[in-house]
Amino acid sequence: MEIGGILTLPFMQKALLGGAVSAFLLALYGVFVILKRLSFFGDGIAHASLAGIAIGVVLGINPLWLALLTAVIFTSGIYFLERKTTIPTDAIIGLIFTFGMALGILIISLKRGYQPELVSFLFGNILSLSWEDILATVILGTLVIFFLLAFRRSITLIILDREEAYLQGLKVEILEFFFYIFLAVTIVLGLKLLGIVLVSAILIIPPITAKLFSRSFRKLLISSLLIGEATVIGGLFISYLVDAPSGAVIVLVGSAIFAGVLLITSLQKRSIRL
Amino acid sequence: MKPVVEVKNLCVKYPASNSLILQDVSFRMEEKSLAMVIGPNGAGKTTLLKAILGFLSPLRGDITIMGKKPQEAREYMSYVPQRFQLDRSFPITVKEFLLLSFPALDSPHWHTIISHVEIGSLLGLPLGNLSGGELQRVLVARAMLKKPRLLLLDEPVSGIDLEGKKNFYELVNHMKTAHGISIIMVSHQLDVVLKFADRVICLNRCLLCDGSPEEIMNQATFRELFGKESILYGHRI
Repeated sequence: MEIGGILTLPFMQKALLGGAVSAFLLALYGVFVILKRLSFFGDGIAHASLAGIAIGVVLGINPLWLALLTAVIFTSGIYFLERKTTIPTDAIIGLIFTFGMALGILIISLKRGYQPELVSFLFGNILSLSWEDILATVILGTLVIFFLLAFRRSITLIILDREEAYLQGLKVEILEFFFYIFLAVTIVLGLKLLGIVLVSAILIIPPITAKLFSRSFRKLLISSLLIGEATVIGGLFISYLVDAPSGAVIVLVGSAIFAGVLLITSLQKRSIRL
Repeated sequence: MKPVVEVKNLCVKYPASNSLILQDVSFRMEEKSLAMVIGPNGAGKTTLLKAILGFLSPLRGDITIMGKKPQEAREYMSYVPQRFQLDRSFPITVKEFLLLSFPALDSPHWHTIISHVEIGSLLGLPLGNLSGGELQRVLVARAMLKKPRLLLLDEPVSGIDLEGKKNFYELVNHMKTAHGISIIMVSHQLDVVLKFADRVICLNRCLLCDGSPEEIMNQATFRELFGKESILYGHRI
């Protein structure tokens, strides 16, 4: 089928719309995540949200809403444990990650038989995207983008120099809390398309690829967004054409772009040295 | 003159530590003056600055900045840390870095500070590519762009060459005289302390001596603390 024909397929339209919004959110948020060295956070929250997905599957409610709720609760837990204890952040994330997964496995065992909804959340499935999911992604995604754009300067300053942010009069702790919460929302919105196992890849691959050649923050943000969109939309088309799982193909496309950019930038540096 | 900083019986302890880092420290500092904080390593100099800035809460005692608590006086203060923990891989230009704290680009104040600190040629460079001295000048420019009433400098010349140090201290002195900024500066360089300071605060977990450079030179505690160095520089003032 030609590209024009693919675009007339309703499930592909939903996948492209949902994918484009998720790619924008993940690639934009990912810039702040890698600079704040929170890459493991994305993976942890995605896995911990299995608890909410399992409750949704067992109760017959759209798992997206319960995944959002549990992700926000677990994120709040990480935030407060980080501040109230001396436990290292990666250990706290590891604790929440495994707790949420264990809870999810236990709850899902209550329902016997094959669970296609669960599998689609685990590995991503463009066919499973409903208009309700798309609507939730667009509305909540707009909120996340508004937060990031409105507080872009403040969040960057907090990441780069927390003491200066405090002296500038910023409400550092409140902003950090909402940064965590909106990050959790962003990750959950990408779950159906990419899956629990792979969603954090789109949070990480576009910004680290852009970081290879960006000398300014503005360039980093724009490049990360473009790479994120190219990865997800390109991956969706390829996955349809070769009839392969969308989440896996998207991540492989992203990894290929990263490898290509790494090769080119390494060769450029080498030629400059010579 | 009105006091810009008033510290009364200040005691500070870090949560993980059992011992006091600062014990019963009291002093006041007048507006538009330059106070130098001196003392050996581990004397609590940085801790004192961080308590004044409101980054640390005192165990006991009071700090007031122009009559307000440190947390309420954040808008009046700027700070240049001893070591700026910079992730050199963070892709941000000097201009973008300054705009995070001071968005009013191209204002007369912006141009005055940029030319005075001589960082105009650095604005387009990635922050991570700067030398120690260049980065320190950028941090001073950022502190000055805020138009602070109180500027706190923690060993600001570490990593800067001799010529750079001379220029830096002259800049600090100019900020005090031309812009009327009160400055508290931690320094190990006694010659500079005695040349530029209006007031010297000697610290070694508690307040050892406090007064004008001439006054503290004659105090036994100061001579005990700095030994031969104090005698050497004592002849210069």
